[in-house]
Amino acid sequence: MIKKFNDLNYYELFKIQYNASSFEVRQAYKNILAIYEESSLATYALFAEDERKAILGKIEKAFSTLIDDEKRNAYDKSLVDIGEIPKNLLTAKERQKAIPLIQVNTAMTKDNNLARIRKKIKEQGTGKLASVMLNRDFISGQDLKNLRESLGIELEEVFEATKISPTALEAIERDDLTNLPPKIYLKSFLKSYAEVLQLDAKQLVEGYVKNMEKS
Amino acid sequence: MKRIYSIGGGKGGSGKSFIAASLGILLAKQGKKVVLVDLDLGASNLHTLLGQRIPQRGLDAFIDKTTNSLEDVALSTTIPNLYLISSTKCSLEIANLFYAQKLKVINAIQNLPFAYVLLDLGPGINFNTLDFFLIATEGLFVATPEPTAIENTFVFIKSIYLRKLKLALKEANMWHICQEEVAQLSKGALKSPLDLINILVGRNLENGTVFKDLLSGLKFSLILNKFRGQVTEDLGEQLVEVCNRHLYPSFDFLGNISYDSRVYESILARNIFIRKYPYTKTVSDLQNMARRLTGEKQQPIQIKALK
Repeated sequence: MIKKFNDLNYYELFKIQYNASSFEVRQAYKNILAIYEESSLATYALFAEDERKAILGKIEKAFSTLIDDEKRNAYDKSLVDIGEIPKNLLTAKERQKAIPLIQVNTAMTKDNNLARIRKKIKEQGTGKLASVMLNRDFISGQDLKNLRESLGIELEEVFEATKISPTALEAIERDDLTNLPPKIYLKSFLKSYAEVLQLDAKQLVEGYVKNMEKS
Repeated sequence: MKRIYSIGGGKGGSGKSFIAASLGILLAKQGKKVVLVDLDLGASNLHTLLGQRIPQRGLDAFIDKTTNSLEDVALSTTIPNLYLISSTKCSLEIANLFYAQKLKVINAIQNLPFAYVLLDLGPGINFNTLDFFLIATEGLFVATPEPTAIENTFVFIKSIYLRKLKLALKEANMWHICQEEVAQLSKGALKSPLDLINILVGRNLENGTVFKDLLSGLKFSLILNKFRGQVTEDLGEQLVEVCNRHLYPSFDFLGNISYDSRVYESILARNIFIRKYPYTKTVSDLQNMARRLTGEKQQPIQIKALK
């Protein structure tokens, strides 16, 4: 049973995990805004003007909290205090955050990282393997993982290049339906992943979604 | 297990009958025994979409007791395995069906010996339409990607919820309790069926959650018809996301059906579109949908949309 909309905490509102990276927060914000903004067809005539205003207000507040480390930590603590999230999830979040520390000066490492990936792709040549995969009607996470591994690219490198959290990336590669992000987010994640591996994003998204729906 | 799908959605002209007829044909082609029931009482025209003349017999014979069995009036069509119960021959006042008659029809539909029963409903939110919609094991909403259609679809969904809730409350002899509170609510106007649930839950009635579960048990899917490139492809998923967030689950998005002007042409010529233009994006969309309904694998070949 879903909770009433007003009772949702910021993570539930954005449909992200407690340890979501800032990239995921940004993506989620973009997606949720597309649904609730005034010009959106999806919520046309569903809400009265003041209702929409209240919803958008909550979304803004959620975003400004989750995107700011200090505010987010305070918010997390308040959630733990009222028992919304168990304490150990906070420590789990610390673990997740430890990985981003690899890239200290972000701009540089990000470019280096991408350049490194590009070089690997050039050396190994994605061409044949990728086109075999993309021409299939159903593309599984395992296919994606195989391709990535055959290119010698680590999951962490994809994380650094895309800023999609390793948990989400792993769920994608394991076809872990229960832990996958909601479909609209999933699509943008897959697009980013495709860009890193220099694949046709549209084909990948279509194949992956089809494969997901099949099972 | 028998499956009953109702095909509705407040707006007229969104393609409900076209989709009902097309899905019926495609399911029959898969070898399933299918019956289409035209419940757009007073404005039925499913037979036209199946390329047929006005059927000689239909629902009228069952209502005026010429026959005792609804199955009797399920006429075969030019497509093997596909049957049609038409309501063209019904009297012009059929749209205002008596309550007892309606119950009789509903009961008979539930007992039809077909693997798939597709109910084609009319536009609007009158009680007959809502009650027929609720017979289904799964309700399909057809909308087009336009503000007007989406507005009507939300109204339709809310009305369905309210109807279901009211009927259940009346059955449990609890309607009078709510009535008092509803009367106090913004001049007695129920704007959202969720208000009703909140009343029930708010009064700590044990049954409050029962009714929540009752609504959650309903299974609905959305179809976006006449889909063209102008709006985002995610619209269907966004709509379902919103419904699941605000209206209690479970909503599912069945897919977009591409717009093709030849659908209109083939209706004019009283041809069956699927037969005449089998290799169009529209038909492949419909086919994927039919396969999803039966749980068969999706079609491997994708045909690019005509821009």
